[in-house]
Amino acid sequence: MTSDRFSRQSFLGENSQPSIEQAVIGVVGLGGGGGHIVQQSAHVGFLHYRLFDRDSADTSNLNRLVTATEADAEAETLKTELARRRILSIRSEATVDVFPCRWQDNPENLRGCDVVVGCVDGFAERRELEIACRRYLIPLIDIGMDVHIVGDEPPRMGGQVILSMPGALCMTCLGFLNEASLAREANRYGDAGPRPQVVWPNGVLASTAVGLVVDLVTDWTRSMRGPVYLMYDGNSHTVTPHPRLVYHDGSPCTHFPVHQVGRPVFTNL
Amino acid sequence: MTVAIRFARSLFDRIRADLSRPHPFAAERIGFAYGDLVDAGTRLILMTAYEPVGDDDYIDDPMCGARIDSQAIRTAMQGVLNRRQGAFHVHMHRWPGQPFLSKTDAAEIPDIVTGLRRVGTTFANGILLLHDIECAGWVWLPGAESPVEADSVSVVGFPFHISRRVQE
Ligand SMILES: [Zn+2]
Repeated sequence: MTSDRFSRQSFLGENSQPSIEQAVIGVVGLGGGGGHIVQQSAHVGFLHYRLFDRDSADTSNLNRLVTATEADAEAETLKTELARRRILSIRSEATVDVFPCRWQDNPENLRGCDVVVGCVDGFAERRELEIACRRYLIPLIDIGMDVHIVGDEPPRMGGQVILSMPGALCMTCLGFLNEASLAREANRYGDAGPRPQVVWPNGVLASTAVGLVVDLVTDWTRSMRGPVYLMYDGNSHTVTPHPRLVYHDGSPCTHFPVHQVGRPVFTNL
Repeated sequence: MTVAIRFARSLFDRIRADLSRPHPFAAERIGFAYGDLVDAGTRLILMTAYEPVGDDDYIDDPMCGARIDSQAIRTAMQGVLNRRQGAFHVHMHRWPGQPFLSKTDAAEIPDIVTGLRRVGTTFANGILLLHDIECAGWVWLPGAESPVEADSVSVVGFPFHISRRVQE
């Protein structure tokens, strides 16, 4: 059975399955996006997980949280437990370390990851995670979605998948993070209602992120040689390279000088 | 508990390029890479800098690919003191297959590491061996009698690559 198990993905290359099985994958945020990430990672064969989320499931998660059942929402089971259960049901040999807390409360375990997938809310959270990943030389794949409602127009659904690689363009270089959006978010804090979230864009974005993780650790396409910024348009159902990356002038990142590795010093970008 | 070493791609490529330069008489080059043991629990070492051994600090010894003099070792020891980080003896092999230390390497380099450890008792010091796209590392953790082979050496950037210790 073991030899058949990954036969349909043997095209990834002779050394790919060992590379997948030895990688330590960190997932921060185990909601709509992170649930898909862990489920697919288990199918692909990843064996080492570090999972961070302090939340528990509730009824409002059931429209999208693929790791949860109605009973879990009723029992308010921790999302880390739901993720662990799903991974082990697919890949029983996996080692799943769960941290039902903020990753900032357990940074040593984040540092040990070979790749981190961030499925976090908000710009400030993203920036903090990117700072840590840069400091400790960890590729970060960020996913997120949002819905904007303006007047009588149909809602606009969008999202992004970004690969922030230490030494290459960061989320600020790519224009995704900036002082204006961080300030707007800080001002909104407290009075923002529940953010719109649905299962299918979470699935598109998470699938794309898992594809990037597999490509990173196996190099099966032999084409991942630069940062990735993909833009999801939920109204046209397309994922396309973001113009900010396509038309970037090639100047290097100035926000994270490459010699600044090691224990973090938080500075204003 | 695993031992992991990480390089930024730019630093790793700079080391490779430096070690690839021909020397007037030595068959291979040597350098010292400096690394920060992030914390003893994590056993994660982030490489931060590299200094080549100066051309004049090689000893002409036809029996050996490259031999460096005591001045080179003193410079590396001073580097440990100045940077407050451990140092790793780095060289590169060109034959195919997994990287492994030659008999001469295994007999001589640990003595160099002993010097580094004398000044950097609280740091991780050791040996790095580059090889095509792979890299292997042997690490003396603070207070450890003997080295452990690093479980992984990652080169972080594009292309991204992780060398894994070959399991016996
Ligand atoms: Zn930047």
